[in-house]
Amino acid sequence: MASLARRRATDLVVKAISTGFAALSIVLLAWILWTLISRGLPALGPQVFTNVMAPPGGNGGLLNAIVGSLLQIVVALVIGTPIGLMCGTFLAENGRGTRIAGTVRFINDVLLSAPSILIGLFVYQILVVPFGGFSGWAGSIALAILIVPVVVRTTEDMLNLVPIGLREAAFALGAPQWKVVTLVTWRAARAGIVTGVLLALARAAGETAPLLFTSLGNNGWSLDMSRPMASLPIAIYQYAASPFEDWVALAWAGALLITVGVLTLNILSRLFLAKMK
Amino acid sequence: MAHMDATLGASPSGQLAHKPTGRISDPIFVGLLWASGLFVLVLLGLIIAMLFHGGLPALKEFGAAFLWSTSWNPVTEKFGAGVMVFGTLFSAIIAVIVALPLSFGIAFFLTEIAPMKLRRPIGVAVQLLAAIPSIIYGMWGFFIVVPLIAAYIQPPLIEWLGPLPVIGALFQGPPLGAGMLTAGLILALMILPFITAMFVEVLESVPPMIKESAYGVGATTYEVYRNVSVPYGRTAMVGAVMLGLGRALGETMAVTFVIGNATRMSASLFAPGSTIASTIANEFPEAPMGSLKLQALLQLGFILFVISFIVLALSRLLVRSKLKS
Amino acid sequence: MNFAPDTPLDIATAVNRATPPSGQPKLKVDKLNFYYGDNHALKNINFDIPEKRVTAMIGPSGCGKSTLLRVFNRMYQLYPGQRAEGSILFDGVDLLGKGLDSTVVRSRIGMVFQKPTPFPMSIYDNIAFGVKLHESLSKAQMDERVEWCLRKAAIWEETKDRLHTSALGMSGGQQQRLCIARTIAVRPEVILLDEPTSALDPISTSKIEDLIDELKQDFTIVIVTHNMQQAARCADLTAFFYLGELIEVGVSSDIFTNPREPRTRDYITGRFG
Repeated sequence: MASLARRRATDLVVKAISTGFAALSIVLLAWILWTLISRGLPALGPQVFTNVMAPPGGNGGLLNAIVGSLLQIVVALVIGTPIGLMCGTFLAENGRGTRIAGTVRFINDVLLSAPSILIGLFVYQILVVPFGGFSGWAGSIALAILIVPVVVRTTEDMLNLVPIGLREAAFALGAPQWKVVTLVTWRAARAGIVTGVLLALARAAGETAPLLFTSLGNNGWSLDMSRPMASLPIAIYQYAASPFEDWVALAWAGALLITVGVLTLNILSRLFLAKMK
Repeated sequence: MAHMDATLGASPSGQLAHKPTGRISDPIFVGLLWASGLFVLVLLGLIIAMLFHGGLPALKEFGAAFLWSTSWNPVTEKFGAGVMVFGTLFSAIIAVIVALPLSFGIAFFLTEIAPMKLRRPIGVAVQLLAAIPSIIYGMWGFFIVVPLIAAYIQPPLIEWLGPLPVIGALFQGPPLGAGMLTAGLILALMILPFITAMFVEVLESVPPMIKESAYGVGATTYEVYRNVSVPYGRTAMVGAVMLGLGRALGETMAVTFVIGNATRMSASLFAPGSTIASTIANEFPEAPMGSLKLQALLQLGFILFVISFIVLALSRLLVRSKLKS
Repeated sequence: MNFAPDTPLDIATAVNRATPPSGQPKLKVDKLNFYYGDNHALKNINFDIPEKRVTAMIGPSGCGKSTLLRVFNRMYQLYPGQRAEGSILFDGVDLLGKGLDSTVVRSRIGMVFQKPTPFPMSIYDNIAFGVKLHESLSKAQMDERVEWCLRKAAIWEETKDRLHTSALGMSGGQQQRLCIARTIAVRPEVILLDEPTSALDPISTSKIEDLIDELKQDFTIVIVTHNMQQAARCADLTAFFYLGELIEVGVSSDIFTNPREPRTRDYITGRFG
């Protein structure tokens, strides 16, 4: 048996290493953020928001990419949120304890972590190939497929926190199920459901891979969803890998924008969640 | 039946007109709920079917050998998944090997060491690592990490460990910076928050009484963690690691930036390589619609989907079996 | 000793002794059996509930009294695997019959739960929620209805200045009276109370008990309670359940002073339960 002194020493060493690991993860986060700020902020001039993408040396901005991203994300949310909300409600309200709900939950969990690039390939196969071209619509659908599992997961979790008694009280007044769900249960879980949508938004905003084969990217100004459409992540990808200094600088500016947006959404959703609990 | 409805529908006093609303919309609503539930199942089926169907011609052309063949030559139109499958597994395993001790340590810190007030903010900060988009990791890795590794990590390791027998094979080649090791390290940082979050969740579900009885016989904090808490949650923790692995397998943008994108196979940690996901992202622009190359890429996608599905499904089963008990 | 299953209890006599005759029973439970999956929770229950009286159901936990309450307003139908056999006649209509709309049944047989269940909306909207399900009222009529039921539930004075604030900000006792008001607002004929005061302090409890006394002028009331004094104070009739069987039912004063059954006596004197 190890001596007491030795056991104490082991305890201290492991504690020190663990604390060091935690510190390391914070340092790495800070390092990434510092890199983004130090390289992105100088490049973040007004032309980023006012000019569309231009050839190297052409004083281009990211306006079309920002607008394209927003447009595709909004459409994705409009498509994905109701499906996710209804599916999460199905799991929490109608499917409780049934086999089919168990399967749906399982598959949803797998889809939640499935490689996003494959969702892009899938949409390429079902929309881009048959309809003869890359389009903003295809990009939106790909993003919508990515956000459905996020909304399903949080919706179910949040609805499960709503006491059964609240539902029964509404049923006891003679309410049909759709009124119980829409007027009472959803309302009671509102903050949590909003969290899910914010998280979904954050996820969609940063995704690059699924857009490569769907909306493709577009260097010019276009609001036509049926044609290839620019997006911030694709623009960053294209510019970061380029040999031109001003393009790389713009990539950093875009990276800073996306990261600030995504982290803000994440922190907001956590605040909402804290309020709910 | 009609008689009963009529009786119950009428008001006893005559002044109460019961007008039940929503009797028609209820079946519609319930139908919509069921449809959305089934949608997820159909979606998964469609994804598998479309990837398989799209890649079928490549499979027919090259047969089962497509799975392990290591040639990837667009000029001669000879394609095989061997290099990419190897790269996918190699980089993901490096990621898990690096992330695992870190996650164990951070979870220990967050559940046992950190002052109560700091647990939440630090936990959130670790979780924010998961929120940073893949492409940002890619840029940071490409512009910051790759040069550092090429300048400070690889030369001494190649010099000291390269000549050794057996393990020397892991440390061969020029110090390029980009390669398997760099990809694995970046992936480790990306999956770290997922593994840590699940570790913390599992550890917090350990009944305090069990831990207290171990403290009661004089165990140190670390001994309780190692001998009581971790064994208690072992199954779910294995599930958490599988989740990390599953995520690392399919990560695309970050890997594409730092893996070097070479279609050669090498046992060296420093050699550039490629994963299935990075190959699809890289080669897609040069794969016209209907080409054999595109079909090969779709078949690669199908293989990746099958691998990740198995890993993620296993993860789910392990995690859930624990949470049930 | 046990009652033969089909022996009808002499309920009419009991009711007559307690109260003036009130004609037909409001609810007539006939050969009721209830199952949670394979678990036989209620065994051959035969039992009449008179109109505009308070009927209490007592018994140890798990005896089936709450289950019976949840059969009356078909709440059990929300859960697959629960089923009832036999009949419950409500003004002559079988509540267990097929083809009945549960939402209509529930608008006429209201229920108040063990814990207050205010909806996450304003006090006013809590009440309007149920009313709007069954009637379309003008704004003025709705205002009138809200005031009427809040007065009936004896919380009008406390709430009239804050009708449009969230109901979640009220105290537990107030919330429970709001839930009673919400149930009354739909103007049911029967009100089911499932241990309505078990989560409340003694002052709120006595307010609710006074309220129950008021309400029986207009409504038929069935209350499940663990509190024997409460049953003795509030109820005209008391029914004692044990292990899914109805052991004894009669005028409350008789049950509590002179039970016929040894098991009833053991329970009310605190020997088990």
